[in-house]
Amino acid sequence: MPDDGRLNRFLNRFGFADVRVPETRAVSYLFALFFLTTFSFYIIKPVKETFLIGVTPAWWPYADLATALLIGFVVALNARLLNRLPRRAYLTGTVLFFAACLFVFWYVFDAALQLQIRTPVIHSSAIFGVIPFQVAVRNIWPLPVFAFSFFSDVFIAMSVTQFWIAVNDTLDPYQAKRTVGLFVSGGLLGGIAGALLTSLLVRVVGPENLLLACPGILLVVLAAVRLVYGEQKKHRGEAEPSASPPKARVGYLESFGAVRRNRYLLLLAGLLASAMVAGSLINYQFKIVVKSVFASSVDRTSFLGSFFFAILVLSTLFHLAATRLVLKNFGIRLALLVAPVVLLLGSLSVFLLPAGALMAWASLVRGGDKIFDNTIGQSVRELLYIPVPDEIKYKAKIFIDMFVNKFAVGLGAGLFLLLYHASRFAYKAEPAQVREVGVLAVAFIALWMVLTGVVYGEYPSVVKKDLARKWKDADKVVEESVDVDVTRRVFDTVQSRERSATLYVMNVFDLMRRGRLSPELKELLGSQRDELRARSMDCLFDVGGEVFFQGFEEAIADEDFGKEVEKVIQSDDYKALMEGRLETVAGSASEIERMEAARLIGMMDPTPRAMRVLSVLLQDPSSEVATYALDSAAIHRRKEHIPLALSQLSNPLTCQGAQAALAAYGPAAEEALRAALQDEDLPPGVRRAIPDVLGRIGTQRGADILLAELGRCGEDMEPEIVGALYRIRSARPGVLFKEKKVRPEILRLVRKAGEIFLERVLDGQDPGATAALDLHVKRIFDLLTLVQPAEDVVKAYQNILQGTKRSVDYSLELLDNLLDRELKRALFPLLEDLPPEDRSVRLRKALRGLGRGRG
Amino acid sequence: MTIATRDTDGVVIFDITGEIRRSDNMETTLHHLVKSHLDRGKRRIMLNLEKVDFIDSFGVGEILASYISTQNLGGRFKLFSISKKLLLIFQITMLTKVLDIYEDEGCALRSFEQA
Repeated sequence: MPDDGRLNRFLNRFGFADVRVPETRAVSYLFALFFLTTFSFYIIKPVKETFLIGVTPAWWPYADLATALLIGFVVALNARLLNRLPRRAYLTGTVLFFAACLFVFWYVFDAALQLQIRTPVIHSSAIFGVIPFQVAVRNIWPLPVFAFSFFSDVFIAMSVTQFWIAVNDTLDPYQAKRTVGLFVSGGLLGGIAGALLTSLLVRVVGPENLLLACPGILLVVLAAVRLVYGEQKKHRGEAEPSASPPKARVGYLESFGAVRRNRYLLLLAGLLASAMVAGSLINYQFKIVVKSVFASSVDRTSFLGSFFFAILVLSTLFHLAATRLVLKNFGIRLALLVAPVVLLLGSLSVFLLPAGALMAWASLVRGGDKIFDNTIGQSVRELLYIPVPDEIKYKAKIFIDMFVNKFAVGLGAGLFLLLYHASRFAYKAEPAQVREVGVLAVAFIALWMVLTGVVYGEYPSVVKKDLARKWKDADKVVEESVDVDVTRRVFDTVQSRERSATLYVMNVFDLMRRGRLSPELKELLGSQRDELRARSMDCLFDVGGEVFFQGFEEAIADEDFGKEVEKVIQSDDYKALMEGRLETVAGSASEIERMEAARLIGMMDPTPRAMRVLSVLLQDPSSEVATYALDSAAIHRRKEHIPLALSQLSNPLTCQGAQAALAAYGPAAEEALRAALQDEDLPPGVRRAIPDVLGRIGTQRGADILLAELGRCGEDMEPEIVGALYRIRSARPGVLFKEKKVRPEILRLVRKAGEIFLERVLDGQDPGATAALDLHVKRIFDLLTLVQPAEDVVKAYQNILQGTKRSVDYSLELLDNLLDRELKRALFPLLEDLPPEDRSVRLRKALRGLGRGRG
Repeated sequence: MTIATRDTDGVVIFDITGEIRRSDNMETTLHHLVKSHLDRGKRRIMLNLEKVDFIDSFGVGEILASYISTQNLGGRFKLFSISKKLLLIFQITMLTKVLDIYEDEGCALRSFEQA
């Protein structure tokens, strides 16, 4: 085994795949396993075709039907063995079984061919007394051909299924997606090598003797299986699914049940079945044309051999040139649609073409079907299984791959037979036959396209099922568990006891008036019980101060107390008296008196004189007075107080109160907030505090103001604005954000994050660089919630930050389906686990063209 | 109020002395201090309230803002050695439903390991 790093560079350079160093060995072994599997199959397949073509062509559908009917039993056996035996033992056993069968078929075909020679000869093995067996072979011919056809179908179906199970066991979804192109390359190269070997040796050794090469190749497959499972543990980490089979017995019915109960798997089965039926019908069209053009079986076989080889070569070229590019740049959706769209157009064109062009048409359509099936179709089909939970994946995969697919082939054969007899094909010209089959093919291709759309729609939700939030938004946790307004008032109430009995009573009354004096609070503030006094009141209010009037505790517990105080405050005499008093107090040197006045105004009606006093108090140099005044301003919500509240944002001690007061104004304050936000002459503290207020108000206009400002603000305002936008998105799903406005900001942040990595993180000299990069990435995700499903983006971010390796890969897969190509190219190098040099190369490449030609 | 900062096994601990209240004219608020550590990549923050006599609404706001900033970045924010009288008000106002409060520094530090 060469050095992993060197092998890795080789695979990435020539394998057209994205293989990381730690997974290099596992990927190489899987590549070898698939290469050997298809290598042996493409020796078996031409031999099968050679014998099958020797049988009357009218029997072709019956061969397919036989496979379709019998494969179910094999599926049941396969499922049972898969779940009873350890995975590696199971794969080893099946490979040995296939090798033994091939040896038996070689013997049967060899004996049959010798018996069919015009001058009968006795097979050399007759010396061992097996003449009755040879006679039986002659009598039952061509049954061995159908048996071999069935065997070859079982061999390829089981081998391919087992290979992809090995991939799922060894790699996680994201690794598999990056490397799947390499495996398909291995399969194609194996097929080409097998076909080439067959074409070179068949004239020398005869078709039946080629089968003897296969058991030897399968022994090498065994070695590959052992190596693959030896690497398994290294690459599945902590989330590794048990390699040993589930203890519960799983049979055919349970496999069927797993698909039937899962909507996604049911749709996937329908998609694959419709594609298979369409492919089967296209194959019959192709055979009709070939039969009509090549009368001699030798010519026909020669043509089919060349056609087969050409398909594999073209598949390889297409795969190397397009599969990875399509998957990486356009995602699964387009990759899923390529085949049905091309085949639909091709199938429809048969109704317009002259008879003379049918051979070229049939070769193109059948060739196209096979090429897509071998390359992009194969890759995407396997990717669609990856998000399915492990516990049902194996059951479903076996059922769909080995039963549904063969059933679809059987359905295609049945439809062909039905049409053949119902439409009296024997009396019709070949072009008419081809077009009539074409109508059916078009119908199934259309169904295939519809199901592709539906499956793609379900895919992200299936991926998401494996992702859970790591934590709830802290704002929401606080909002759900704590009444912040009451909490603040309670702390102020308790604290005011040490400053002024009047202030304390007013605060208690305020809590009562707002209906926030819960039984627990009443108990805390007013209970006469000695126990509570000892536990709370004494220790809380041990700071001295004025003496309460007697019976205060009883008063606040009395429901009529509040009403009586309210009556006093509303009375004209009280107002007249207090307005004068307030004006005097506003200029008082006593901070306590000004605090009491500020609190009292909040309890009074907003008379002009009271509001003037409030204006004065809102500019009070004491942060305590100003905070009470802000509280009262929030109650009366007078426009003239908005600028004064805004000015208090600059003071860290009054900022919280000012933010709460301005948020209480709601949309009425938005215009003033917008103007202040854009006023670069204001202190930075004021401007930085405004996004939070707009975030709390949470209107569409507030969101628009923030978004507009994000586009023009400097970096110092960016965290607050992005945080407020995220808060609006989180609390108000109905608020709309135009993608054309958000996208440039996301791209700008992605560019900035990329630059931080390249300029600061990469050289390792700046200790704060990684933290700065992390914060930028957080902001990118916050902004992504504005234009993508917020919950999905949050889950992806949290799992990338704190998830297991598996959940990180699921998150990347989810983002891969959500984001567009340009964004993915630039963002993924920041998120993926890459060596620094690799990350650097990818980032430089992605940033070069980022955001060009856009807003 | 004074705030001393120390780092224990990657956990930033703020030892607060005095009262967390609005009337204390501070150059830097508690939340700003916490944010500055978050900006430097720290994600485990603890407040030692052993020597804190009282907290007013401003102090509560600072603690809640610090909690929100830390948690939203995937960090952990914890309090320890809180006085009985403060704990009582925290319980009544349901702050104990939100904030992780531990008896002493050892318990608080161990809780990071168990998470």
